[in-house]
Amino acid sequence: MTAGQRALPARAALGVAPAWQRAVTDHRHILFAVLSVFVFITVVYPLLQVAGRSVIVDGALSLANYAQVFALRRNWIAVWNSVWVSLVATVLATAIGVVSAFLVQRTDIPAKTLFRVLLVAPFAIPPLFSAMGWVQLAGPVGLLSQAWQGITGEFEVPWNIYGASGVVFVLAVTKYPFVFITVASALQRMDPSLEEAARTAGVPTWRIMRDITLPLVRPAVSSGALLAFVASIDNFGIPAVLGMRAQFYVLTTRIYEALTIPNMPLATAMSMLLVALAIVSMIGLRRAEGGADKYAVIAGKAVTPAVLKLGSWRPAVVIGLALAVLLITVLPLFALVLTSITTFWGADLVWANLTLEHYVSALTIPAARRGILNSLFLAAAAGVILVLTTSLISYLTVKARYRAASWLDIAGIVPFALPGSVIGVAMILAWSNPPIGPTLYGTIWILLIAYIMRYMAFGLQTTRATLQQIHVSLEEAALTSGAGRLRVLKDITLPLLRPGMVAAWVLIFISAFNELTVSVLIWTTGAETIGVWIFIMQDSGFSGRASALAVLTLPVILVLYLLMQWLTRLEERRAGRSKG
Amino acid sequence: MGVVRVERLAKSFGKVVAVDGVSFEIAEREFFSLLGPSGCGKTTTLRCVAGLETADAGTIEIAGRPVYRADAGLDVPPNERDIGMVFQSYAVWPHMTVFDNIAYPLRIRKIPQAGIAGRVAHVLRILGMTGLEERRPSQLSGGQQQRVALGRALALAPSVLLLDEPLSNLDAKLREQMRAELKLIQRETGLPILYVTHDQTEALAMSDRIAVMCEGRIHHLAPPEEIYRRPATAFVLDFIGSVNYLPCRLAGADDSSVTLLWREEAAITLPRPPHLPPGPDVLLAARPESWRFAAGSAGLPGTVVLRSFHGAGFEYRVRLGETEIRVMTPNDVRVSEGEAVRIVVSEGLLLEPDALSRPEARAA
Ligand SMILES: Nc1ncnc2c1ncn2[C@@H]1O[C@H](COP(=O)(O)OP(=O)(O)OP(=O)(O)O)[C@@H](O)[C@H]1O
Ligand SMILES: [Mg+2]
Repeated sequence: MTAGQRALPARAALGVAPAWQRAVTDHRHILFAVLSVFVFITVVYPLLQVAGRSVIVDGALSLANYAQVFALRRNWIAVWNSVWVSLVATVLATAIGVVSAFLVQRTDIPAKTLFRVLLVAPFAIPPLFSAMGWVQLAGPVGLLSQAWQGITGEFEVPWNIYGASGVVFVLAVTKYPFVFITVASALQRMDPSLEEAARTAGVPTWRIMRDITLPLVRPAVSSGALLAFVASIDNFGIPAVLGMRAQFYVLTTRIYEALTIPNMPLATAMSMLLVALAIVSMIGLRRAEGGADKYAVIAGKAVTPAVLKLGSWRPAVVIGLALAVLLITVLPLFALVLTSITTFWGADLVWANLTLEHYVSALTIPAARRGILNSLFLAAAAGVILVLTTSLISYLTVKARYRAASWLDIAGIVPFALPGSVIGVAMILAWSNPPIGPTLYGTIWILLIAYIMRYMAFGLQTTRATLQQIHVSLEEAALTSGAGRLRVLKDITLPLLRPGMVAAWVLIFISAFNELTVSVLIWTTGAETIGVWIFIMQDSGFSGRASALAVLTLPVILVLYLLMQWLTRLEERRAGRSKG
Repeated sequence: MGVVRVERLAKSFGKVVAVDGVSFEIAEREFFSLLGPSGCGKTTTLRCVAGLETADAGTIEIAGRPVYRADAGLDVPPNERDIGMVFQSYAVWPHMTVFDNIAYPLRIRKIPQAGIAGRVAHVLRILGMTGLEERRPSQLSGGQQQRVALGRALALAPSVLLLDEPLSNLDAKLREQMRAELKLIQRETGLPILYVTHDQTEALAMSDRIAVMCEGRIHHLAPPEEIYRRPATAFVLDFIGSVNYLPCRLAGADDSSVTLLWREEAAITLPRPPHLPPGPDVLLAARPESWRFAAGSAGLPGTVVLRSFHGAGFEYRVRLGETEIRVMTPNDVRVSEGEAVRIVVSEGLLLEPDALSRPEARAA
């Protein structure tokens, strides 16, 4: 077995192609060219359309569109409403998120996993469903309103779900998971020695939490809060169901209104205002995340930090948290189910009033059936296309170290910061009468491109993170074992990337399946989505049918949500083990 | 003829010159080490040999076949170089079993299934891991993962094994054990090894020859004993083992000995070292075990400031004017702290007085 014994195939010693020839056949260049076209069509071109058309009137540069926005008081008010409603909702969401994250992560309450799953659940439930659920709970003849009337004997309830207060409240109870998730994970990853240092100095636990722990997770709190703020500005379903009826408009609903007229230039200019709002928020987000780096107290390891013993407070805290979860997560869904099986909204709960008629009539409408199929197809297709393309982009930037590919990465992340209404307007502008290619407006393909644009960031971030975790020596070991580049890709890189790809697909599927803000602007007959159709039924007063359709989609969302939870748990366990 | 021949290899990363004209040749069955401090270019040299890095200049031949030639634009990719490599991080594939990890290079070469099973079983036997075939890497200890990485590199009996600090992630006990095993495995397989380490004990214990590197250059290439006894440069002298420096004046030299004066009074007589600096002012460099305590009035007067136990003996720190000399003694010699002593030295090297600020200064 000495070195000389195994003869190697003779090779022409100098048989290597010159550099220029290698450059042409280098697979990275071809890949990059194809992906560049893809990102240009789905992201860059539509964005250029909005930005360009907002300042062009009759073929000349002009700010007339913006002037038109500010000429009308209605528009002013919508801008202002968007800002203040999102701000107040964010403050409330932050309070709920921080307190619940702290209770679940750092105190001795029981059933933590159950609480965690229920607290994150609103993340997966479409905001439209929550809005509908809250109407059915707290609306004029809602369950809570009836209960209040029964208890107090008064006809007037001291709240109004329609209008600004309702919008703020429902935004807060649907957007707090952003804060919960970021703060809970920061609390979990915090270096325990920081707290232990205080503990050895004799500081009591609750003071450690107040003086050490909370200040250290502040960056996580602000980045979670900013995500909640951006999501609130972006939202359409909640202000549409709860606001429009009370003549309370925000930017997203105002754009919807402008497009039903339709006033395209106005919608375009208002989209640019939303972009401005989004940019300001994103700068804030970057700052907050930069702050997190500066502290550098979050160790990348899973540890079991000290737990605050609640003592005699424990039962009260647990009951309070359980009631809150019941109210926030369980009751709205319960109301949806109830509405879907009672003859009319507010009917007494007796056998005679129970019916499946809403399900039957909802499903006999061809458009609703189409909507379900379209949504399943679009969500699945957007997921597959995005997982494949973003894996390739991440492969170019992370593994092939292809410098130029970073523009794909940057361009692909931008739509994440853009409110859905902007994407909707961009799609209409780009695909109504494109200079080349078919008119996609009026087909479901415009929805597919819109979802691809909107969720490209999810794919990019997940696949990039996964690829970065695949240490380069794993691939080099295969190279030195005799495998060629493609073989390494197939045997090592792809199998290790697969869990990340599955996770990205699930995340994109759930998000696209629940999408409403964009869809409601660009759907057409034949190209309906389930969300749009539920909204239309709710908006035209058929809340029973709307609820029936919503209830039908819940199992899909629920199964995928649990799958997502399971995948992340799996991922965490694997990461924990490979460190140990 | 050498199994691996590296000639005038050079590699820079931007402005950083990582490897600066390195040449060496590894013989069949030889255990050859690249030794040097962090950042001296060991890994870069190894990765150029593996083909994972493309050098800027020079030639590399493996098993008589040129794999890299800067002048001819030849650069054979790693998968065609017939090498086996073990990474510092092990790089055992987490999604494959132990068997699949070791079998992978064989599968790539399209060796028949039966041959693969036999070969993997053989490798596992050498590594003492029979029975763990179906384990996943996450179910293995660090030492076992290390063995899998080694087994994967051995499986094909490549022309040369390349190892980059393979033992540095193991605890001290395991490291010592693996050192011996690695040596035995090499003897059994007869594969030449190019071994990278910054741990001199490791290199001295295992290597047939060592190339000591500093800032991208090889300062000394020789068998371990020669490197220890006759380090070529001030850097090698300082880097390998521990050494005491004492400024002296060269009073006289003949064919077999030299005479030094310390503080113009105490005289030291030594066997003549291979290199004599030109000027009268010199720096005497001598290992702690070359010093011992003297009885009577011979030797240099000093005071013991610290005594520490080292298992096999004691180390004393003896204050000698402004310098401190470390003296290693066997267990039976006992001197207390604070005691006035006299010490003598039996052999040493002579450097120019400013040699410590010039790593490349000649030492032997
Ligand atoms: N990919 C790279 N890009 C830029 N600089 C590099 C790169 N790899 C190595 N260097 C630089 O080249 C020099 C030699 O690095 P090398 O990794 O070969 O050192 P080493 O001797 O293996 O050190 P260590 O013992 O720390 O592993 C260092 O200054 C290092 O910073
Ligand atoms: Mg190294």
